[in-house]
Amino acid sequence: MRRSLAIVAVAALALSACTTTTGGTAGSGSTEVVVAGTYPIDSIDPHGPQGGGTGPQMAEQAIFSRLLRVKPDGTLEGDLATAWKSDPTASEWTFTLRQGVKFSDGKPVTAKDIVDSFKRFIDLKGTNSANFPGYTLASTSDTEVVLKAPKPDAAIPRKLAVFFVLPSGVTANDTAFFERPVGSGPFRLERFSPNEIVFVPNEHHYGGAPKVSKVTVRKMPELAARLTALRTGEVDIAWGIPDDQLPAVQGESSLTVQTVQSSAVFTMWFNSSIPALKEAAVRRALWQAIDFQTIIKQLYPQTGTPSEGVVSANTLGFVKQEPVRHDPAAAKAALTAAGFDFNQKLRLQFANAEFRPFNQAVVSELQKIGVQVDLLEKEQAVFTKDLLALNWDINFQQLSNPTLDAANTIGRLYPCAAKRNGYCNPQLDQLLAQAGASADEKERVRLYGEAARIIWQDAVGMFPMAVKHAYAWNKRLSGFTPDPNGLPSFAGLQVGS
Amino acid sequence: MRRIPYVVLAIYALVGGLGPLFIDYNPVRASLEDRLRGPGSQVSTGIAWLGTDGLGRDVLAQVVYGARTSVVIGLATVVVSCVIGVAIGTVAGYFRGWLDTVLARGIDILLAFPAILLTIVIAGAFERSVLVVVTALSATAWISFARVTRGIALSTRERAWVQAARVLGVPRISILVRHILPFTAGPVVALATLEFALVVLAEAGLSFLGIGLPNSAVSWGQTIANGKQYLATAWWISALPGIALSLLIVNIGILGDQLTARYGQRGRRS
Repeated sequence: MRRSLAIVAVAALALSACTTTTGGTAGSGSTEVVVAGTYPIDSIDPHGPQGGGTGPQMAEQAIFSRLLRVKPDGTLEGDLATAWKSDPTASEWTFTLRQGVKFSDGKPVTAKDIVDSFKRFIDLKGTNSANFPGYTLASTSDTEVVLKAPKPDAAIPRKLAVFFVLPSGVTANDTAFFERPVGSGPFRLERFSPNEIVFVPNEHHYGGAPKVSKVTVRKMPELAARLTALRTGEVDIAWGIPDDQLPAVQGESSLTVQTVQSSAVFTMWFNSSIPALKEAAVRRALWQAIDFQTIIKQLYPQTGTPSEGVVSANTLGFVKQEPVRHDPAAAKAALTAAGFDFNQKLRLQFANAEFRPFNQAVVSELQKIGVQVDLLEKEQAVFTKDLLALNWDINFQQLSNPTLDAANTIGRLYPCAAKRNGYCNPQLDQLLAQAGASADEKERVRLYGEAARIIWQDAVGMFPMAVKHAYAWNKRLSGFTPDPNGLPSFAGLQVGS
Repeated sequence: MRRIPYVVLAIYALVGGLGPLFIDYNPVRASLEDRLRGPGSQVSTGIAWLGTDGLGRDVLAQVVYGARTSVVIGLATVVVSCVIGVAIGTVAGYFRGWLDTVLARGIDILLAFPAILLTIVIAGAFERSVLVVVTALSATAWISFARVTRGIALSTRERAWVQAARVLGVPRISILVRHILPFTAGPVVALATLEFALVVLAEAGLSFLGIGLPNSAVSWGQTIANGKQYLATAWWISALPGIALSLLIVNIGILGDQLTARYGQRGRRS
């Protein structure tokens, strides 16, 4: 009896062991994750002309490492660097490098690779290299690199989140390299075609190889296609879901839906260089005339909140400003008092159809007090060209800031020399110069806050809404963190609980 | 049965012509509290019989004002392209020689180019306005008129009465106007109805793509495009103007066929 019991026990043990093994194999076979790509990925050369776009950056951060990166919560995290510090003037920054980091081909990442990459980054003049005019990077030892800026720049660590490290020796148009790129990021590129990009884990990654067996980013620019694929399980992760479609996605039991506060703020500049909008009183009155509260409540019930400042609340340099109260009667009176010409038509320009309803609602609000606005929806390229040429009266933009530092928005866009919105105020220039030069974070927040108060009160633009991004992903995934800039990392993903 | 297209078109003309007098509509004014209400809902301005769109604007009013826009743009384009096409076609066909060679080859070149592509290029290159849309659509629509009338002019110029007129010393312009042009009328009218349908469709297409009429104008194409993302939840925004558009096109097509059968024989052969 005892013997037979033992046999049964052994058999049960063997059986259970067996099931675990089989289960394990089946599981690892299906640990592929499919992501619906919102933006096109035309290039994976992080230093090239297209490398700075949102789509390419998402791919680049999977394949390559950076010195530092910004975590979804807005704090800085060392990637290739483990520590960083500046000299007292904030114009010279020293980075201590992580030891034992290897590229996906097994070769070690050296200080020379980093220095050469920075040189390539500056030489190729991609959009992001404009953040580093005249900066130089040099290695002082095998474990340390030093970045020198021509003038004090406290925002350097955050700005470096857009600088990716390649092995040294990659030339400008090295197509052979980018067909089989070698990087030190969590993934290795397996296949890259215009419609699909496939990553597999990088076994040599310093943080350990990702647990999923494959990540496929499939290009799906059409919203309806993305949502259908999400519902049927064809894709596991999608984002950029508009409010009108959110309830349907939230009703799906197989999906987790989460909105995350982004760095983006709806920014509607007035062209202060045209006679009609020269007076701050006129610009303030126009802002006051629009019932943004209702527009946001109706059009963006879940992903929009009234903005409380020039930059988003999670950006360094955010200081809360006094809300602008909707009062059309006062607005009309102020416009009349300022001698505003109601027969003139203002040109409001924007790009991307997703913002059409919002802008149409704004035009409707302004019409209620007799201000005529021509709504001009432009192609992205035309929009950008006209934006820089100041060929508009009111400009709508969803302004994001992946560095999460006000230097990149307030500091870059509002000085007189920037010539981005026709506004020029020497007092503001001085504040911005001080803020840019200060190494003390608290002092910078204070200075940017003061600058933002001038921008807000002089109504250089309207800052109606802070944007949340809506993410949805399949419940079979764990370890996914929505990213405020639409640049989620896939390194921590796991399939099954 | 043969009357049906006439009746339907009369209704469209009536609605397009008189409807705006009875229904007040401001395309710029949004009423966000009333957005995405179904047909027959009570909204702040009364009852929305065909529902409201994503900005709370009445769909019925958009269908009615859209009918007017479509008819006006269709007529304007057909008249412009008809005048240009008939003038070029008769001149080429009657005078022949080098003038005909140049014009006919020019027409061939334009025909080789996809019409809708050329229209999109022209419409996309300029700021959106009614004039640009009419110009862009006329730029390709005149070609068929020119081809048909050239064929008729080519055969008519050899007829006895034309030769008699020439012998009598009638000025060439008079021969063209009095002895050739009248014979193009039948086929041209038949062709004009078919072209009208194509133009209405093309205008809706351009507006759908966002390169047609400005936002301050009402066009079926725009309304259909606005409803695209609500197809699953608010079908009425796209479906109802779409039905209005297809009914119009189908009826013009039937009418065009009837007219072609009656007048267009010669036109068809060329």
